[in-house]
Amino acid sequence: MSLLTRVKRLVGIDTRQQKYSYAQDPVYGKVATARLADTWVKTTCGYCSVGCGMLIGVKDGKAVAARGNPDHPVNRGKLCPKGLSEHHILDGPGRARQPLLRKNGVLVPVSWDEALDTMVENITGIQARHGLGSLGVVGTGQLLTEEYYTLGKLVQLGFRTPHNDGNTTLCMASAVSGYKLSFGSDGPPGSYADMASADVVLLIGSNIADNHPILCTRVGEGPGKRPGRTLIVVDPRVTKTAMMADIHLAIKPRGDIALINGIAHILIRDGLTDPAYIAAHTNQYEAFAAYVAAFTPEHVAGITGLPPDRIEQVAHLYGRAKAGFIGWTMGVNHSSQGAVTVAAINNLALITGHIGRAGAAPFSITGQCNAMGTRESGFTSALPGYRKFDNPQHREELAQLWGIDAEEIPKARGMAYPDMIEGAVAGNIKALWFIATNPVVSFPNYNLLKQALESVEFLVVQDGFHPTPTSDFAHLVLPAAIWGEKEGTYTNSERRISKVNRIVTPPGEARPDFDIFLALAARLGVKEKLYPGWTTTADAYAEWQRVSAGRLCDYSPHSWADIEAQNGIQWGGERLYADGHFPTPDGRALLHNVPCEPFTEQPNDEFNFILNTGRTVEHWHTRTKTAQVDMLNGMVPNAWLEMNPVDAERLKLRSHDKVTIVSRRDKVTDVELRITSIVAPGQVFMPFHFAETNSNRVTLGAFDPISREPNFKQCAVCVQKSSAH
Amino acid sequence: MNLPLHERAVEGTSPELVRLTGLSLGESGIVFPEVVSSLLPERRPGPGEQYRFHFDMTKCIGCRSCEVACNEQNNNPADILWRRIGELEAGSYPETQRHYLSMGCNHCLDADCLKGCPVDAYTKDPVTGIVLHSADACIGCSYCVWNCPYSVPQFNPERGVVGKCDMCKGRLDEGLEPACVHSCPEGAIEIELVNMAGWRADYALADSPGMPAAEQTVSTTRITLPKVAAPGTESRGLQRIDLGQLQREHAHIPLVYMTALMQAVAGALWVLLAWHALDALRLAGLLAITALALTLSTLHLGRPAYAYRALKMWRRSWLSREVLLFTLFFGALSAATVVTAARQYGFALPGWLPIALHLTAAFLGILGTLASAAIYLVPARPAWNTPYTPADFVLTAAFLGSLLAAAFADLLPALTTIFPLPALLTPLTSAFAAPTHAFALSLVCAAAWLVNQALRAWRLHRSTVFESRAAWSLLSGSALLPFTAGSVVLLLITLVCAATLHPLLALAAGFAAVLLSRYLFFVTVVPLSMALTFVRSRPAAGAHA
Repeated sequence: MSLLTRVKRLVGIDTRQQKYSYAQDPVYGKVATARLADTWVKTTCGYCSVGCGMLIGVKDGKAVAARGNPDHPVNRGKLCPKGLSEHHILDGPGRARQPLLRKNGVLVPVSWDEALDTMVENITGIQARHGLGSLGVVGTGQLLTEEYYTLGKLVQLGFRTPHNDGNTTLCMASAVSGYKLSFGSDGPPGSYADMASADVVLLIGSNIADNHPILCTRVGEGPGKRPGRTLIVVDPRVTKTAMMADIHLAIKPRGDIALINGIAHILIRDGLTDPAYIAAHTNQYEAFAAYVAAFTPEHVAGITGLPPDRIEQVAHLYGRAKAGFIGWTMGVNHSSQGAVTVAAINNLALITGHIGRAGAAPFSITGQCNAMGTRESGFTSALPGYRKFDNPQHREELAQLWGIDAEEIPKARGMAYPDMIEGAVAGNIKALWFIATNPVVSFPNYNLLKQALESVEFLVVQDGFHPTPTSDFAHLVLPAAIWGEKEGTYTNSERRISKVNRIVTPPGEARPDFDIFLALAARLGVKEKLYPGWTTTADAYAEWQRVSAGRLCDYSPHSWADIEAQNGIQWGGERLYADGHFPTPDGRALLHNVPCEPFTEQPNDEFNFILNTGRTVEHWHTRTKTAQVDMLNGMVPNAWLEMNPVDAERLKLRSHDKVTIVSRRDKVTDVELRITSIVAPGQVFMPFHFAETNSNRVTLGAFDPISREPNFKQCAVCVQKSSAH
Repeated sequence: MNLPLHERAVEGTSPELVRLTGLSLGESGIVFPEVVSSLLPERRPGPGEQYRFHFDMTKCIGCRSCEVACNEQNNNPADILWRRIGELEAGSYPETQRHYLSMGCNHCLDADCLKGCPVDAYTKDPVTGIVLHSADACIGCSYCVWNCPYSVPQFNPERGVVGKCDMCKGRLDEGLEPACVHSCPEGAIEIELVNMAGWRADYALADSPGMPAAEQTVSTTRITLPKVAAPGTESRGLQRIDLGQLQREHAHIPLVYMTALMQAVAGALWVLLAWHALDALRLAGLLAITALALTLSTLHLGRPAYAYRALKMWRRSWLSREVLLFTLFFGALSAATVVTAARQYGFALPGWLPIALHLTAAFLGILGTLASAAIYLVPARPAWNTPYTPADFVLTAAFLGSLLAAAFADLLPALTTIFPLPALLTPLTSAFAAPTHAFALSLVCAAAWLVNQALRAWRLHRSTVFESRAAWSLLSGSALLPFTAGSVVLLLITLVCAATLHPLLALAAGFAAVLLSRYLFFVTVVPLSMALTFVRSRPAAGAHA
C-alpha cells in the first residue's frame, strides 16, 4: 500500500468505497461487487451428506461467491451457513501447498518425485520386512467416489494389504451393519421426499437443525410444513431439532433400544402391525414378538425415563400413520450397540410395513458428503457394489471385470479403522496412511491413538490442509486438492449421485488425490494392470459403472452428463424395496431380537457425569475446513460444556467458568461452561470440533463389535473448575 | 374468500400467495401443491406506509444462514454482523424451551441513530421507510452506535465509517428479497408493509424477550413469538443467555483526554476570571490546551479529515451542538487572548471589550461542557443516562479548573526559568500568586466530584435496570478495581499536594484521577442490545479508539 493511500485511509479521505460497493448480478440482482462472478460452476456441497446443489461464482480464477442452486431438488436454492461460505475455504491460509518429508525430525519441502518415491520405498520396505498386512490405510467420505474406488484397488490390489477402511467407520458404519443385518444389504431405503410426505416423522438421535439444517425444511414449521404431520424427536438433550418437534422424548442415554422394542411391543399388543407384510416379507416374527413381549411400557419407562403414556402415544402415532418415517443419525450410530439399534429400528418399519412406500422408510441420515459413495464403491467393509469378501462368486465377478486372478482379492474384510490403531500399538501395523482425515481430533481416546501414531515406522498424511493436528505426527505430508478443485461424484444420504466440479486449480503444488493414487500405482508397477489407460476420474467412473452394473447400487445407467443435467440422480429410484423383496437369500427381511444393554462406562461417585458429544451448525468435523472461514470461526471460536443448573449449583460453578473435564483416560482443560437446561442433570455435553479442547482426550475406546464404530456418545467424566494459570 | 388456504393458492388470485410448485408425493398419487407464501409484499409502500421485517420465532431453527448471507451480500469483515442471531432459553429440563432471534435493523419510526447524527448521514427513506446510512457523509463519530438501543450500527475500522442493515434496499427496489430473507431455509424472515400511524398507535408486536423495549424508538420489526413467550401466556419467560460475561466497551481514549482537558479549561477560565488573573499569557495557555483538546477530539473520528462536517446538524444533534459551542469557545478565547495581549502592549482598546470577551468565552465554555454532557444522556446507555453525567462534567470543570488556575502561578515562573521569555513577550505576563483560598476551593470541588462519583456508583449498583447494574459490576469487578481505586488514591494525593502547596503536582495527580475515572466511564457502560449467542467472539476491550 502506498504511503499516500495509507495517509488517505488514516484521515478518512479513502473509505475503500470500491471494496464496499455493489453491482448488478444478472440473475441474483444487487450484490457486493466482490461477489460478482464471470462464470458460475454448478456443483455439490462438500460438507455434509445432505448433498445440496450449489453454484460457485468464479472471477479471475478465484471462487468469489456461493449460492444454492434454485433448481436442485435437495435444497431448492437454500444453503446452510457452511455452504454459503464454502468458497472461502479454497484459498484459506491453512492449505497444504507442497509435499513435506520429515528429515532429522523436521518436515521439509521436497519434490513430488522424492515424496512419492520415498513413500513407495518405505512402505514396500516395511511390507517386505513385516508382511503385506503391515500397512493400514484410512480413507474418507470426503473423497470422490471415483477416487475412493481407485484407492481401494490401489490398497488391496496394488499395495496388497487388506487393511483399508474409511473415517466413515467413525460415522455411519453402524447404519451399514444394521441395514445388512435386517435387509441383507446396505442401502438407505427412503429419500428426503419421504421425510416431507410422511405423516409421522420419528427422528432418533438426530439433531438435523445443527447437522443437516437444510433437511429441516422438510419437517420444520417453514414453508414446506404439511398440515397434520407429527414430528417426534428422541434425544437426551433439548437440541435445536427437539425444539422443532411436536413431541420431544427426552430419553435417558442409550434408552433407545428399550424405547424401540417398547414401541414394537405396543404395536403388536394393540394390533397396529401389518400382518400381511410380516407374513409375506419377513422372517423370525414369532421369535421377535415373543422377545419384545417383555418390553412393557412400564418396563421401558423405567429404562428410558419417559412416561408410559408418552411411549404409548408415540407408538400409536407411528402405528396408525399412513406413512411413518424413522430417521436417525449419530445418536444411534455412535455407540457400541449402534448396529443392533439400527436393526431394532428396521424391525419397527418391517412389522408395520412402513418401508418401500411413499413417506415410509427407516432412513439413515448419514454424515459426510460422500459417505454413501465410499460405502458403495469401497473395499472396506464390503467389496465394490455391496459385494461380500467371503462370497467366492462375488470375488470371481470382480476378478473377471478387472482381468485379474480371483485369488488376489482378499477373502475377508481387513482390519477396521479402530483395529488398525490397536494393531499399530500392538506392532502389527507398521505403516499408516491417512487420507483427508484428522484422527488426532476425531478418533476416541486420544492417548491410545497418539501411541499408535508414534509407534508406526512410517506415517503418511495426505490432506488439503497443513498443519493439522495429525500432520504434525507425519513422516510424509502429501498436499491434496479439495472440494472445488477436482471433478467426480458424491452420493448423498438419499442415494442421489451428484456431480462435483472443478472450480479452481489447487494451490501451490497440491494435486488431486486421484492423481496421487495413479502416480503411486505407476511406481508400484501396477498402473496398467489396475488402471489401464486411465487419465482422469472419468475413466474411474466408467469402470465403476461396469462394476456396479446389476448390483443394488447400480450406477451403470447414469452418465456424468445425465447426473449433472438432472441435478443428481438417485440410484435405485426414489425408494428401495417397494416390492418387499430384499437382497437376502430368500428375499425376506430379518427381524432381530435386540437386547437392551446399559452403555459401557456408567457414571459412579468419582466420575459422576455422562459426557455426550456432538456438533454445532457453524463448524464441520475437526475444523480443518471451517477454521479457514473467519465468519464461521468468529461465530463459534471455542468449545463449551453444557451443564444443568442443578449440577452447576452443587459444584459451585458459574457460567463462563473455565472447567476441566476428567475421565479415566485423560482430561480436557479450559472449556467454557454453559449452565443450561438443555441438558439433563447428571449429563454434560460438549462439541467435538476443537483440537484445542479435544473431547476425544476423554472419550472411551469402546467399539461396536459388529460395525466397529466407536461409542463417542457416552462416557463417565467428572468436571472441575480449571485452575488459574 | 373463505376457501381453504391451499385452494386459494391453486386459484392463484390471493395477493398473499404467489408461488406454487407441484410436488408429487410419489406412488400415493396425491398431488399436493407446495405453497410458498411470498416473503415480499406484492406492492411498494403507499402513502403512510413503510417496509418492515417480520421475524417468525416459531420457524427459526437458529441455523445462522441469514448472518452469513448478510455478510456475503455486503462483503463485510467477519467480525461485523449486520444481522445477528440471539439465543433465548426458558424452563427446566426436559421442558426446556430454546428459541432464536434473528435481527438486522429495525428501521424504527423514531430512529435515535438518525436524530443523533451530527452530519445527517442518516435518512429515513420517504418511500420505503428504510433507515439509510450514507458512508460518504459519515465521519465515523460512532454517535449512532451509542444511540441505537439494539446496537445495530457498527463501526468498521477498516473504512473509518459506520455501517448498518439497509434492508438490501437495492434488491427490494428491484422486487427481490433481501439476502437474509432469501437465504432463510425456513422462511422465518419476511418483508411486510406497515401502516406507520397504526403502528405508532400500537406496536406491541415489536416487543419480544431478548429485545430492548420497542417504545424507545418505535421499532417496526414485527416478531411472531412462540406460545411460551407470547404476552399473556404462562410467565416462564424466555431469558437471554448472553449476559453472563460482561464485556468492556471501547475506551475512546481521545475523548477521555478531550473531555477532561476542555472541562479543565472551561473551569480554569471561570476561576481566573474570579481571581482577576486573566492575563494574555494565561489566556494563551488555556487557548493552547483548547487547541490540543479539539485536535485530539478529531482522532476519535474514523475520518478526521471531515471533522468540520460535525457542525452541520446543530439544530438536532447534541454532538453538533458540542462541536459548535466548543468551536465558538475557541474563537472567543482566541479573540480574548488577542484583545488582552493588545491591551497589555498598550493598544488603546475600550476597557469593556476584554471583559466582554472573557465572559463570552467563559459562558461558551460552560455551555459547551453541558452540551458535551448531553451527548452521553442516551437512553440506549443507561449507565450514562443519569444526572450524574452532567454533574460529573461540571464538577470536573470546577475541580480541574481550580487546580489549573492555581498551578498557573507556579507553572509560568517555572516555564520562564527554563525558556526565558523574549523581551517582546514580557509585557504579557503579570505577577500573580494564587490566592490563599485556592486550596479550600480545590478541596471543596474535589469533595463534590468524589461524592458525585460515589453517588453514581451507588445508584448504578441499586438500579433496577440490568445494564446499569452491569456497569456497576464492571466498575467494581477485579479487572477494573485498580482503576477505580487508583482514581480515588490519586484524588487523595491531589489534596495532599494542594495542601502542601505543590500546585503543579496537585494538578498532575488531579488530572490523572479524572482521566482514570473518565476511562472507567467509557469502558464500563453496558449498552442496550438485542440478545446474542452464548459462545461468540468478543472483540478485545477498547479495540476502537
